[in-house]
Amino acid sequence: MQKIANKIKNNSTLFSNFVENLVRNPSHEVQKNFMDITSKIAETIRRICNDEGLIFDVSYEGKNYWLKGKNYEACFVDGGVYSSFASSSAPFAIRAKSYIVKPNKSLLERERFEESIAYMGDLYDSKNSIYELNEDPYEDNQLLHKKKDAARIIFEIAAIVKHVFEKRQFDYCFLHGPLQTPVMPFSGPEFPLFKKNVVKNILPFFKFNQSSENERHFINVYLNALTYLSKAKFPIYGIVERTGSTIYLRNLLYRAVKKGTIAENDYDKMISTIKRYKINDGNLLELILSDCQALKPLEVEKQIPSKAWGEWEVQMNSFPKIFIGYLRTNENQSPIRIESLQCPNKIQEDYEYILATSKLLPNYGYPVGLDVVDKAAKIPAWLGRAAKGYYSKFYLDLAIESADKKTISSALKMLQGGRVWRNRPKAGKVAR
Amino acid sequence: MRKVINLKPNFNKTNLNIKIRKISDPWTNIGTILGQTTINDYSFYLKKFKAKKGDIVAAEAKLPTGEGKVIDVIVWGRIMEIISTNDFLPNEASKELSEGNINIQDTILPLTKNDAVCSVKNLGYTKNIFGKKLSLIPLNYPVAPGGAVKYPASKDLESLLNSDMNGKNPIFIGNLVARKDVDVHVSADNMVSRHVLVIGMTGSGKSVWVRRAVRELMQKQYPILIIDPHGDNLGIVQKAKKLFPDHKIKLFYPKISAPKNNKEVIFTLIEKLGNKLTEPQYEFLNWLLTNIEYESGTSLIHYIATLVQRSNAAAENRRNKTGKGLNGASNTGATTMGVVSRSLRKVQRKLQEMEQSNISNRNKFPHLKFEELPDPYSQPEKIIQKSQVSILYLKGYESLPSSTIVSILLDTLFNHRSVGGKIIPPFFTVLEEAQNFIPSRSEGQEGYPSVSTIKKIATEGRKFGAGLMLVSQRPYRLDETVCAQMNSYIILRLKNERDQRFVKNTMENWDNEEAKQLPNFANGQGIVSGQITNIPLTVQIKFDDDLTNEDIGDENFISDVQNWKESSTSKKKKEFSKNFDKVFEADQRR
Repeated sequence: MQKIANKIKNNSTLFSNFVENLVRNPSHEVQKNFMDITSKIAETIRRICNDEGLIFDVSYEGKNYWLKGKNYEACFVDGGVYSSFASSSAPFAIRAKSYIVKPNKSLLERERFEESIAYMGDLYDSKNSIYELNEDPYEDNQLLHKKKDAARIIFEIAAIVKHVFEKRQFDYCFLHGPLQTPVMPFSGPEFPLFKKNVVKNILPFFKFNQSSENERHFINVYLNALTYLSKAKFPIYGIVERTGSTIYLRNLLYRAVKKGTIAENDYDKMISTIKRYKINDGNLLELILSDCQALKPLEVEKQIPSKAWGEWEVQMNSFPKIFIGYLRTNENQSPIRIESLQCPNKIQEDYEYILATSKLLPNYGYPVGLDVVDKAAKIPAWLGRAAKGYYSKFYLDLAIESADKKTISSALKMLQGGRVWRNRPKAGKVAR
Repeated sequence: MRKVINLKPNFNKTNLNIKIRKISDPWTNIGTILGQTTINDYSFYLKKFKAKKGDIVAAEAKLPTGEGKVIDVIVWGRIMEIISTNDFLPNEASKELSEGNINIQDTILPLTKNDAVCSVKNLGYTKNIFGKKLSLIPLNYPVAPGGAVKYPASKDLESLLNSDMNGKNPIFIGNLVARKDVDVHVSADNMVSRHVLVIGMTGSGKSVWVRRAVRELMQKQYPILIIDPHGDNLGIVQKAKKLFPDHKIKLFYPKISAPKNNKEVIFTLIEKLGNKLTEPQYEFLNWLLTNIEYESGTSLIHYIATLVQRSNAAAENRRNKTGKGLNGASNTGATTMGVVSRSLRKVQRKLQEMEQSNISNRNKFPHLKFEELPDPYSQPEKIIQKSQVSILYLKGYESLPSSTIVSILLDTLFNHRSVGGKIIPPFFTVLEEAQNFIPSRSEGQEGYPSVSTIKKIATEGRKFGAGLMLVSQRPYRLDETVCAQMNSYIILRLKNERDQRFVKNTMENWDNEEAKQLPNFANGQGIVSGQITNIPLTVQIKFDDDLTNEDIGDENFISDVQNWKESSTSKKKKEFSKNFDKVFEADQRR
């Protein structure tokens, strides 16, 4: 206690400012205003939704539902990634897993965990990488992060492509995350091509055109995969449990403008208010939807051509449109976003299934099968640590073998990474 | 490349008395050793349903020898705990399942991703399971993580458990709880010479064990003395005559007597059973005991009656002021003498009541022949001899007289062994309800003469062929020093925490994990540990139903009440009582 008192005493300006702020509570008005605006926007959006007939109830009958639901075969897909980037190496591991379950089968046959596709290697290694080697124009690891993201996105989708290609007959297939991701960040000229064998794995149906290397670019591979999936025989949904996006709101308002029920001027103002107050689909729809209520899907475009680089701008329009709906699965969580490449034929039935599987995770509130596959796909921390340790040791061994003190010192510093606080000068005590 | 250990037996090298059958079952690979291992324990990932708690498993390992070599060995261990987890099954799902009464199998929740991790306690290692030296040797180097864990074939396991029994007269006691096809034997030699403590709550199977041990020792013609306060072993008398026609099964009732020169025992008995005496009264009692001769083998009740007679006479003389026959007690007053007489009469009455109670209990078994316990001084061979089981039936006697009887009997028999040598053969004593004879200090053991006697036998019995088997349902009430002398243990079901603590404190190498299973044992299941066995084992003791007592079954009081008929005396008593009540009600002067 004495130490804290001394700190406050020695830092009186900070302390007095802090207390003053607390007492006056300057954010009170700001917060009240935010609440006021949010509730008003929610009320407006609710009216528009009602006007469009978008809100509907999804029934949940617990035990009775599962007497029917146990007959469905569902596949849940998720990916797991491990990466550790240093100047000397960029170890990277990725895999996509599927949890396939049909409850009415015998205990030994009811569930399967399949590893659809996996890779482990070094993103700097020309021989053992999924990408062709390309020049990295960035000072930080931006390109490495992009490579990692692109690999994760494509591996997850590839797992579903594989199921469709193998003519699996699921009643449902769910992906943990969006079914379509904006690809503009990967349209830069520096982004490398996938290696040929990787594309063969991802798109087993694909026939290469030898003349066009760009077929192996992430955007094209992704486009091909999504186009292939849009013709799947079973419903495929992407489930996003935390959303910061405003895509539904914006499209809802835009649709109303097109219909003439909202003035263009009001649309612009509303969009800018939403931006200013950082309102998103999740926190606004939480005020609109009650437990077991859903919003019918809207057809939206996720790719924005104007944001893509050069030649890719045109390609953006080739991406299939996507259907986005929302479902509130419990009273404590925001509604979950449900994406599909086709407009759901049996929306009531499909959402009932999603609701029932989400009710089995009563606190978290999203399909429990995705939680299961999330754990299965995750690359365990111990494996990551082991890989990092192995790479570090290997590099250090090489440095030591060189017998050059400077090289060894440099290697040590590089492996430590970041700032080393222990070398900072100490204050407060006089050395005797 | 790891060298594969050849687990197949070399029959040419075997030189065992125990028959080894040909291995037909291969050793199944059941798991992989995990992370960190010590010389005491390790854990391993278990393949689904391939082993269970209590199973004995084997791991291949390499050990350094003193000569700088590394040898391949098999490390044996027991599965102490199995932890099963399903990391894919979210806990919060159970809320919805419970509240919605949903069958988990109908849902998409994963049911098959259960991982089982076993904790194994190392028992020791063998160089080769079928070599000449099969004794388990303490481990001095841990097994390597990543190694395979195997489930040994039952026959091999049986060979290992019984391998060290050569020359130790193995006796069959039952089967491993975890593997019913594995027979377990213990060393009869170590049992009769090094003492056994048998503990377990009521209904845990103590009698099952006693019958088993007695039966096996009978087959070896070993003399057995059973001290039986409740008649739990009368079944042996009923049945064994048919099963062992060449054996003598003697059923004795006690005769309270004392050795000629051991008046200390008589003094203690009078002191404890009679009234509390003052210093002058004790002096007079001593005077009486010193002056009245006690003939060895005579009834103590009779002797006390003589004391009373003499005391009364002395008091009469004191009142008459004759002083006749009061040498040494000339200062004692008549009142003091009267008090001593009263106390002696009380002791006499109590002993007579107990004797009478014992007779009543014996009369319940008219088909059994009870004999008065011969004088252990002069006729020890009638109690202890080859191919004889002697049962001393103590029912009806309180603990102190019982303790006195047992103390005198065992002390005398032990003296015959330790001093006399060849008068009686080595013998084995089974002491039922041992807490009555060797109560702990906290139970107030003062004056229990059997404590020092049993302590002496426990300490020195091994040298003179006087073995003990103490049987108790309340181990925490037993004398700690005596228990510490017990070299082998049969621990059956125990639920009382104090009893479990006692076991933990008394037994060497006792493991907390072992203590956890004590409350869960079924009847006749228990841990056999100590010098009678190679390694501590969880055993299902064989139930000798052909030796059970048909006269003493489970209590059936409900049926007794249903068949209850009031006696004519009782009916009259009630009638008169009503009449008296009318009189009392009319009485206005009360």
